[in-house]
Amino acid sequence: MKSTPEDLASQPLSLEELLAHALAIESEAVQSYEDLAAQMRQCDNTEVADLFDRMAKLEAEHAAKLKEEAKDVEVPELAPWEFRWLGLEAPENIDLAGVHYLMTPYHALKLALTNETAAMAFFEAAAAGCVDERARALAIEFADDERQHVKWMQDWLAKYPPPDEDWDYDPDPPAALG
Amino acid sequence: MSAQAPRKLKASDYQSDCKPVWCPGCGDYHVLLSLTKAIAHLGLLPENVAIVAGIGCSSRISGYLNCYGFHGVHGRALPLATGIKVARPDLTVIAAGGDGDGFSIGGNHLLHACRRNVDITYIVMDNEIYGMTKGQPSPTTAPDWDTKIAPGGTGISPFHPLVIALASGANFVARAFSGDPNGTMRTIVEAIEHPGFSFVQILSPCVTFRPDQRDWKNLVHPPPVTTTSDASRAARRVMTDDGFNIGILYKGSREPYRQSVHGESGAGSGLDEEFLV
Repeated sequence: MKSTPEDLASQPLSLEELLAHALAIESEAVQSYEDLAAQMRQCDNTEVADLFDRMAKLEAEHAAKLKEEAKDVEVPELAPWEFRWLGLEAPENIDLAGVHYLMTPYHALKLALTNETAAMAFFEAAAAGCVDERARALAIEFADDERQHVKWMQDWLAKYPPPDEDWDYDPDPPAALG
Repeated sequence: MSAQAPRKLKASDYQSDCKPVWCPGCGDYHVLLSLTKAIAHLGLLPENVAIVAGIGCSSRISGYLNCYGFHGVHGRALPLATGIKVARPDLTVIAAGGDGDGFSIGGNHLLHACRRNVDITYIVMDNEIYGMTKGQPSPTTAPDWDTKIAPGGTGISPFHPLVIALASGANFVARAFSGDPNGTMRTIVEAIEHPGFSFVQILSPCVTFRPDQRDWKNLVHPPPVTTTSDASRAARRVMTDDGFNIGILYKGSREPYRQSVHGESGAGSGLDEEFLV
């Protein structure tokens, strides 16, 4: 179900629902980054593969922290269409249209920055709507965590200038395209 | 549907140790994710699910799951899946492949699988190209797709899989988009749950040979009308749409093929005993 920030304000997430959303974001992010790392490694794009591995590790640490937060809460199992994301998918789900076998660390970090920003926006909207005190406090904490990740991505990105326009030039292209 | 799992398995529990070798950015990654999520949601045990595929990039999917898998010959996923389901009606049988495998080499099997209405689900990852063999036009390629390999385009009208499936008697017809994994997962769940032959065309971009398909995410949209049980209405709708309507188009109520009603093939011939393990 696709929600808007207004939907999350008018029908706030309960503590249990908030934790279900938070755990889904992090566990899907871990898998997405691990998959991307494997894909890049297979294409001998080791530098970007290592970067995605580091992101997967970062998300795994965050997921472990969330599990600790949720240990006294019975987190419901939601069907994918029962989640109330601001988009069609969890905010840290990778948009495959942004993935390329010759992508550079700059592109990988831009992708991650987009995802972390979307996660931050989700928790901010959830916090604004939450009625339950503990849920609101946790949503604010999660939004702060994501804000920290956004900052890390921005700092990291500052070390990688945008690549040349022909970054995707392949002297031995896979396609017989004209 | 097959027996439920005694414990809740996660989508990742259904993936094999074999890592996919699809190109980075390929839509098939999300189809794999949607399929594993669908099987996990239905709570099916891996040993109660058979994934049958033909040949092509997308047909590799049977190797990436830890359910029973059969990677058959080109275009023959449907007869293999039909045989498995008839022999083992307790299994959830899913056939999968691409547009070349399913609509060209296996095109005739599609017609008859729809007609027979055996309770299987057929997923076609349609990228309008033969990706594995370096980008030749497939039955769903636009006639004016101009490339070195088909200068000036093929000039041949594309195949309309959904219309063909409806006309041939499929009991469930849907279109999904790989870039919407949760929507695709829900469609697959409904396809598996619906009795009879369920056909799901999944628009799955080939970013290597059709980089223009990265734009599909901006073109897909929900259907303007709800699911119908009227095949002629569904056919009219799909003949006039832009090819980017996603959702469940048709749910029929035709009785699926049942072996108990139509006789047991091989019974008494000793053939079944020969294959006992």
